[in-house]
Amino acid sequence: MSSVLSVKDLVFGYPGQAAVLDAISFKVQRGERVGLIGPNGAGKTTLFLLICGIVSAESGKVEISGIPVLKGRFNPAVGMVFQHTADQLICPTVSEDIAFGPQNMGLSVEEVAGNVNRAAGATGIIPLLERVPHQLSSGEQRLVALAGVLAMQPELLILDEPTADLDMRYRRRLVGMLKSMEQKTMLTASHDLEFILEVCTRVIVLNQGVIQADGEPVTVMANRCLMEEHGLELPHSLTAAWHRHGTETDCS
Amino acid sequence: MIAPYSTAIPESNLLSRWEVRHKLIGLMALIFSFSFIRELRLLPLVILVSVVIYSLSQLSFAYYWSRIRLPGLFLLMLALILPFSAGNTVLASFGPLALKLEGTLSVLLIAVKFLCIFAIVLVLFAGTPLQKIVGALRSLGLPALLAEMLIFTNRYIYQLITDLRQTQVATGLRGFKGRSVKALKPLAYIVGTLLVRSHNQSERVFQAMTLRGYGEESLVLKAEQVQIFDRLALAAALLLATGFVFLQLNFFPAS
Amino acid sequence: MHIPDGILPVSVALSGYAAAGGLTWLSLNRIKKKFKNPRELIPRASLLTAAFFVAALIHIPVPPTSVHLILSGLMGVILGWFAFPAILVGLFFQAVMFQHGGLTTMGINACLMGIPALLAGALFRTRRYFGVNNKVTNGLLAFLGSFLALVSGALAAALLLIYTITAQLDVAAERAAIITLAGAHLPVALLEGVFTALVVLFLLRVKPELLEMEEK
Repeated sequence: MSSVLSVKDLVFGYPGQAAVLDAISFKVQRGERVGLIGPNGAGKTTLFLLICGIVSAESGKVEISGIPVLKGRFNPAVGMVFQHTADQLICPTVSEDIAFGPQNMGLSVEEVAGNVNRAAGATGIIPLLERVPHQLSSGEQRLVALAGVLAMQPELLILDEPTADLDMRYRRRLVGMLKSMEQKTMLTASHDLEFILEVCTRVIVLNQGVIQADGEPVTVMANRCLMEEHGLELPHSLTAAWHRHGTETDCS
Repeated sequence: MIAPYSTAIPESNLLSRWEVRHKLIGLMALIFSFSFIRELRLLPLVILVSVVIYSLSQLSFAYYWSRIRLPGLFLLMLALILPFSAGNTVLASFGPLALKLEGTLSVLLIAVKFLCIFAIVLVLFAGTPLQKIVGALRSLGLPALLAEMLIFTNRYIYQLITDLRQTQVATGLRGFKGRSVKALKPLAYIVGTLLVRSHNQSERVFQAMTLRGYGEESLVLKAEQVQIFDRLALAAALLLATGFVFLQLNFFPAS
Repeated sequence: MHIPDGILPVSVALSGYAAAGGLTWLSLNRIKKKFKNPRELIPRASLLTAAFFVAALIHIPVPPTSVHLILSGLMGVILGWFAFPAILVGLFFQAVMFQHGGLTTMGINACLMGIPALLAGALFRTRRYFGVNNKVTNGLLAFLGSFLALVSGALAAALLLIYTITAQLDVAAERAAIITLAGAHLPVALLEGVFTALVVLFLLRVKPELLEMEEK
């Protein structure tokens, strides 16, 4: 399997402060859905900005499908859905907004239309195509932003807190949609640990600039001591299992 | 690019401790008196006063230099045009261009005045939090509606700048470069979106504030205690300002 | 066009303050007459003022370079009478944050931008004679209002500068200087006109109420 994302010895920090990312390395293979968890300030969003080429690292390498990421260079191979989706939607209609990315890629009118329809179909928002994005609910806006990114057919999809301010209905819809996108390589950061459990095939715990754990979601996230040590807690669905099978172990 | 508004002058500094209304009146009077000067021979005095006040503020030259670059561009333009277009006495010729005395002296007068006024403006604003300036203006007669607009607008400028930056990053990630004429429509969409989001947010802000009693009474800003130092400093500034006007009118009435 | 400190005579600067003071009083008066509780509008007017301030920071491409737009025409269209206090607030923040634009000349600059803005707003409101939702009318009136706002502002600023800086320019040189200064603003005025029309057409589709604040 080829790695879609390769991060090697990545270092990033602000002058006079401890490193936000301290020589982290990991790879994401094609088709993997990786969840990134950790406390606030762990560097998850910073990592995304580095992968997208919005900021540049002090040292280390980031490659998408073997090609180095360059700061400021447009790279449609990576698509990111921001936590605050309102920042991402600028066009008067949903269809124009989804078309924005493919148009900037220089695709033909037919190709753009095709991409828009496919992305809208995948996210289930075809009925919303002529609506005004800012009049939609936050759940609908999230799906529009996702469609806008999917329309560029990225190799790597990054989702920053995708279930933030979603009601249960849209959360279920998003979970179902992401699980159905089996071929999509995905990297997501979320405090919604149940979401990570449901959707991701692998989880990475990031804290104090370093990768603290990397493995199967159930294995990593069922480790109460590990989770609590890094400012997290057991997902509720694993708490019951812990009580049934585990003993109250002293984590010190 | 834009840092949140902060005072660059330490609180312990004399000029920081000068009561705001007195400082506003004193320094504005001085600025206007500088503006009144038309005689080149008074410029050394103007420069001296500006340098002394700027030094008292403990602001660095680097700070002055960093702030003057953008506004200074207009001055540069004037400096390139006026000496070659205004006046009759030719100082030197460069082909079709003739450097004229009157134009050159005009530029000198404007430039020195601008640079000195700029120093005083920096001292005024770098040394005073916005809330206090608005409070002082309000007590000096600024309508309540304007005062409230100033406070609210200041509150939201930084947030909107952050929102705009995020939007620029997000559109950049979707391939938008904003460098050709084709970028005009998306940029118009971005500005339109900014306006729509601001309008929507303002409704929420108004509702939240009404729940906390907004609308019952106008913004109340605390008046500061006035010390003798404040009055003396104001008197000194007014004396200087009057002095400049007096000198200009009585000794150089023709200029 | 902002006129910085040190160039205009004090008499002109003070007249500018007087005129700006008068126009502010007039605007506030109109606002109080039109709206039962004008303080309700402060969050909206302030947020929009902040939005305009921030929008003016955007680089608009004019190959090979880029410019910052003034958007006074757009402010007139959307804010109506609130445009004048909004412009004054915007100029104040420019002076406080960037020390750009002039403190002694704030009154004059407010008039140079504010009066054309109010007129652009008034011109835009004639759209009710042609159908409030008519795209062509909206676009055209927005373009014209903004374009004329900028041209008149630049012309007035040029005239002011030429006649006050020095009395030693001969008539021909004066005329040439005015034409050059004002002429240099024509491309930017066209750009502002087009840009304002695009924003207005966007708002017509997305949130037409923003264009109707003054019509209620």
